[in-house]
Amino acid sequence: MTPRGVALRALRLVSLLVAVAVGALLLVSASPVDPVRAYVGADVAALGPEQRALVEERWGLGEPPLQRFLAWAGNLLRGNLGESQVYGEPVTTVLLDRAAASLSLMAAAWLVSGVLGFGLGLWAGVRRGRVADRVLTWWAYTLASAPTFWVGLLLLYVFSVSLGWTPVCCAAPIGTLPGEAGLLERLHHLVLPALTLSVVGVSPVLLHTRQAAIEAMDSDYVTFARAQGERLPGLVLHRVARNAAAPALVLQLASIGELFGGSLLAEQVFTYPGLGEATTQAALRQDVPLLMGIALATALIVFAGNAAGVLAHRWVDPRTRTAVAA
Amino acid sequence: MPRPAPALRAGAVLTGSVLVGSLMTACGGDTASPSRTGADGVPTELRLAIGGEPDDGFDPTLGWGRYGSPLFQSTLLTRGADLSITTDLATAYEVSDDGLTWTVDLRDDARFTDGRPVTAADVAYTFSTAAEQGGLTDVTALDEAVVVDEDTVELRLDRPRSTFVNRLVSLGIVPEHAHDEDYATAPVGSGPYELVSWQRGQQLVVQRNDDYYGQRPQFERLVLVFTAEDASLAAARVGEVQVAAVASPLATQDVDGMRIEAVTSLDNRGISFPTVPDEGADDDGAPIGNDVTADPAIRRAVNLAVDRQGLVDGILEGYGSPASGPVDGAPWFEPASAITDDDVPGAEALLEDAGWVDADGDGVREKDGTTASFALLYPAEDSLRQGLALAVADMVAPAGVEIRAEGVSWEEIDRRLHADAVMFGWGSHDPIEMYNLYHSSLAGVEYHNPGYYSSAEVDARLDEALTATDPDVAEAAWRAAQLDADGTGFAAGADAAWAWLVNVEHTYYVDDCLDLGPPLVEPHGHGYPITAGVTGWTWTC
Repeated sequence: MTPRGVALRALRLVSLLVAVAVGALLLVSASPVDPVRAYVGADVAALGPEQRALVEERWGLGEPPLQRFLAWAGNLLRGNLGESQVYGEPVTTVLLDRAAASLSLMAAAWLVSGVLGFGLGLWAGVRRGRVADRVLTWWAYTLASAPTFWVGLLLLYVFSVSLGWTPVCCAAPIGTLPGEAGLLERLHHLVLPALTLSVVGVSPVLLHTRQAAIEAMDSDYVTFARAQGERLPGLVLHRVARNAAAPALVLQLASIGELFGGSLLAEQVFTYPGLGEATTQAALRQDVPLLMGIALATALIVFAGNAAGVLAHRWVDPRTRTAVAA
Repeated sequence: MPRPAPALRAGAVLTGSVLVGSLMTACGGDTASPSRTGADGVPTELRLAIGGEPDDGFDPTLGWGRYGSPLFQSTLLTRGADLSITTDLATAYEVSDDGLTWTVDLRDDARFTDGRPVTAADVAYTFSTAAEQGGLTDVTALDEAVVVDEDTVELRLDRPRSTFVNRLVSLGIVPEHAHDEDYATAPVGSGPYELVSWQRGQQLVVQRNDDYYGQRPQFERLVLVFTAEDASLAAARVGEVQVAAVASPLATQDVDGMRIEAVTSLDNRGISFPTVPDEGADDDGAPIGNDVTADPAIRRAVNLAVDRQGLVDGILEGYGSPASGPVDGAPWFEPASAITDDDVPGAEALLEDAGWVDADGDGVREKDGTTASFALLYPAEDSLRQGLALAVADMVAPAGVEIRAEGVSWEEIDRRLHADAVMFGWGSHDPIEMYNLYHSSLAGVEYHNPGYYSSAEVDARLDEALTATDPDVAEAAWRAAQLDADGTGFAAGADAAWAWLVNVEHTYYVDDCLDLGPPLVEPHGHGYPITAGVTGWTWTC
């Protein structure tokens, strides 16, 4: 990419982050949730108005929203995301603590759904109209419309409760201390949440790859190669796969944002200690600093995913290079 | 408390729970991975899936342990299973005649887990810190805490308050020398257990404190797993946990090796009525008053017509009891306030006498052009309250009163709670709640007294109870506020300010080998309060 391209992209990122921050803040200030009331929750009966005033003071809710936003933005420029109200810890600490678990979960799911989706999509596309294609397409449509939460519960029931192959919860065996669990144990606990997430993520890649494969199979160059006597495995490998890879890659990289959303649900089902719980808590309880931190981090991840998608597309498919640069 | 306790957001996941629940009935797992076991075959580790993870961490001055079991810290006083108060860190306490000075004598053999003794200075520090902190424990009545000598503390209040005893019961004592900004995640205390590891959102591992001055717990290690309800049930099913808290609709299945224990609680559900006629709006523009429910005859008729046992059987799956008031089961409950319900003819006669007649024959009574019809709001995501609201509407319809049950958001309830009836839930070990619900000075403040109920007699009784220096006097006044010898009070048979419906029992799957002893009458929160008696738990196999 040219220096100008890099600068342009950086500018775009900054404007995106500003837009996300302002948008999130507007949404938060329009929300009817009262953070103090949400925090007090079940204890509202025993707490008097004076104690409530103390809570507001501790959280600095006395000042008007605009002033709080400006203070927040000022701190942000100095790299300080503020303090989470719910957790009483710096937002960066909360995010970093939890991102590690979420990222391994998302990475595992992302790889599996990418590889599986692409492979099955190719298979379905090449075998268009046959039994394999019809089964795969039906399966993909079913999964595409299945909520992550529900898929997670089903898998939990089948593999953990009835078969007993996988653990019911958590990132390590119940009762083990941090660092005590071995790599295998941690992988064992990762399997089911990752599977849940990837099962739902397979569909779009599969369907897009199938479409691209079908187009490639119908193309002149495949007809030409076929006429020259090239057989199916070679055709798929050399002609179809490369053409289908571009949309699949872009889609897969762009899907990181959705993956993030899905992982929140999967984490809830399997009590997997990632960003999911923090996000739900932040939203339900109007923890503005944490909510903003999560919104910015998510925007950053999605932006990075999309940018990687564009770059990968360009790398796989030379035809797009001039078009984008222009 | 009107909102679901964080420990169990049952409503939100109920669909999923029921799905997994019913699937699980069909097939059982047998993949128990036993927890650590001692030489005699008795487990040294107990695993509990009962929620209770505090977001703020384990700092009592911010509210940790307010349900009576701070685990890492000990409290001055403690509650027995019957809610009677006994001493713990304190050996005795007395209240001055003006009710302002509480003098507490401390035992001298208690030590923090870092080896330093628990002193009067630590107690004074804990109370004065909690009084200034914006957390979930309300110590705002405290003016100052003064160390008198090595083992005596004076807690001076700025107004007399009999309910302050609940702070002595619930506030865990923290060490002044170790109470820094990391305290919430690395607590040091003098309680029965020490923190080993807290993995946020996942689990808490605690280890027995062998220097604990009190009864030594049988189990060396406890693991509290913070799973959602589905996962808790799944974990119970495969033998991963020995105690699991589940909502009563799920407590209908058999789990091998476990029994269901239903714990009595103060957790209740009832309908708040606007008790004043339509009189405009408050400062925030929220409407106040309702011409139908402002008539005591309507409120009494609803109380009379409802079949509470029917609600327990039909909606709570039998896990509960009919409610007479907000404090059934507490020592300060007035048994005479109970009425005979399921009495539609009685309700009809009452309405008839008050001038409510069905002149146009549409099944709903009218009086002076007002139709006996009002809305009953419930939070839409709460299936239990929905069931109760719909059933109540059906039960009072034959008496000629129309209740329109509406599932709405809490935000909408916030705007309409002074003008419409609302299905609330309360229940606390602190009778201050009764004061908050019925005292006229709290009308329209937060969720307290949403219906603007006001009665000079009840106010006087409540004030008397709050300022009493003798616990027995306070108790008598709390009772009289519900119903006194003259028949005045806020209870169903008198002013009928609310229609209390049911007391909920909290349901737990418990390992057949685990004896929990006599369970404490639990407050509104389902789950963590069961640990209040943890030092007395025994393994019986």
